[in-house]
Amino acid sequence: MKVQATRATQAVRLRHTAGFHDSHADLVAQLTPLVVAAAERGEPVAAILRPVTEEALLHALGDGIELVPLALPESTETCSGQTVAAQRARELRELTRGGTRPITVVAEHISRFDGSDGGFWTELDAAMNVALAELPVTLTCFFPELPLHQSIIEGARRNHDLLLVGGRPLENAEHRTPREVLTEQPTSAPIVLRPPDIALTFGAWQLHEVRAAVERAALAADYQPDRAEDVVLAVNEVATNAVEHGGHEAELYLWTDDVLICEVHDQGELSDPLPGLQPPHPADPKGRGVWIARQLCDTLHIWADGSGTHVRMKAAR
Amino acid sequence: MVQADGKLTFVDHACAVADSDEHLWEVTAGWLAGGLDNGERVLYFEDETAAAVLGRLADDRVPVRGAIADGQLVVVPTETTRQILTGPTDQLERLLIGHIDDSTARGWPRLRFTGDTSSALLPSGGAERVKAFERVSQRVLGSHPSMRLLCRYDRRRWNETAIDELRRMHNTELVSPAAYDDNLLRITRNGQGAARLAGEIDHSNRLRIKTLLDTMLDQALRSHSAPTDIALDLSSLRFLDVRGAVSIVHAAEEFPSTHRLRLTGVRPRVLRLLDRCGAPFAAQLVVEPHPERSSSLVLPEPVAATR
Repeated sequence: MKVQATRATQAVRLRHTAGFHDSHADLVAQLTPLVVAAAERGEPVAAILRPVTEEALLHALGDGIELVPLALPESTETCSGQTVAAQRARELRELTRGGTRPITVVAEHISRFDGSDGGFWTELDAAMNVALAELPVTLTCFFPELPLHQSIIEGARRNHDLLLVGGRPLENAEHRTPREVLTEQPTSAPIVLRPPDIALTFGAWQLHEVRAAVERAALAADYQPDRAEDVVLAVNEVATNAVEHGGHEAELYLWTDDVLICEVHDQGELSDPLPGLQPPHPADPKGRGVWIARQLCDTLHIWADGSGTHVRMKAAR
Repeated sequence: MVQADGKLTFVDHACAVADSDEHLWEVTAGWLAGGLDNGERVLYFEDETAAAVLGRLADDRVPVRGAIADGQLVVVPTETTRQILTGPTDQLERLLIGHIDDSTARGWPRLRFTGDTSSALLPSGGAERVKAFERVSQRVLGSHPSMRLLCRYDRRRWNETAIDELRRMHNTELVSPAAYDDNLLRITRNGQGAARLAGEIDHSNRLRIKTLLDTMLDQALRSHSAPTDIALDLSSLRFLDVRGAVSIVHAAEEFPSTHRLRLTGVRPRVLRLLDRCGAPFAAQLVVEPHPERSSSLVLPEPVAATR
């Protein structure tokens, strides 16, 4: 799969800061002045916090300051950092009114999303750097000084362009681009599923067979016709990329339970580790397919390994 | 004798050689619609193709529901079709005559038939069986001037010699040439500055759209009498991929300011995608939704034969 990087010329508007705390009280003490400062600037504040932290923070803030909660991933077992970042970008694009109104976001590390190695957090922050790049967002992420997985701290130190030291954001010399971060620590594969219900090998001239298989499965699982059509479009775009860039043949796997799950595997290299996270430029015909597919799926997780590029899509009714 | 289209009131025994499925639905819907328009009773013998044919009639804005409700259009279901066509030929002859007499008794001036005959006839007796069916039809047509019959042959199933032989058994061939047909997408030109796309556009054929639009624009610019709107009828376009949509929007953006690209009969699925690909911001692009289709997967109810 290959999606061209675009708009290097546009200014990055995201300010992405990492902060570290040694206790819950320390976390709340560091969060409070950030939120107060944002309120004084007249910015709305969105929060990605555990309920216990949010409660303590609201208590410390007193009356008159509201926090807009952002959605947390529903399940901890299939956490895809890039999917969560795409979802956050959707929410924040709306909250910033299409990028015209600045917003402050505070977030904390929540260990139940760690997975087996904490890699979720590194992928999430790298993906946030891509997905939110053009939005006027001041995002501060807090991490415990000693998380269970040391890689979380290493990832945080590479993904954030600023570090909060003594309440002040300072330039972070260790900051790396998302590409560099994900070259060091590639996006992990999602949990392995049982053998697929439908498997199909296809080339560039059999994309209609891919669409027919997905449409049949979606309609058989009682998806509304409009939703089925959108899912077919999403899979078609990912499958198109696979045969366009990944060599002449690719594989489609379908799991036809209540919620349709679909995987596309090709033998190509993933040149952009996080395709389809940035809104496509009107003049650029490429890259729009995966972007639209991400908007239509509940999960769209892309990873690569020695055998090629892989995409898992999950699309609920 | 070759005729392109129209109501074909005086054509009693026609054949059509289809290059693709889309071609088949096009010619079948045209024949059925001509009959309905003429006030004739119309019988379609389906073999798991009713949805495609009724869908195409809906694309063509033929009032199918009304025609089915008042008994003008009858779809003979797959099982009955197969039973009739695999049975003895004298039974078939009696059945055709029975249908004609019945429709005359109900006051219809003529009875028009077509259907998936070869798909049942071929496996049960090969080309000879198809020819036997044609001979029976010819006999019935000879004695019943109110009967009209279109026999369709799929070019992918027959060799040229066999097709020529079958052609000679008919007095008319319905011909509708395509500008392009790859069995996934069929492009037909309907007049100056107008074309119709039927089927699906994806990675395998989307360059054809750019070529088509370039050619149509060139022709329009070179001719003073040509309309300044390039019209693409998308009524039967069932799928369009993202790059295809982007290329249509781009093509319109690059039109000279004197010309517009008009998309008509756009299905909801294609409409949603065009919206996501910047169509609302392209000043020279006009997008007109299909009036009949609220959702592209909803087809007229399957119909049982009334006999």
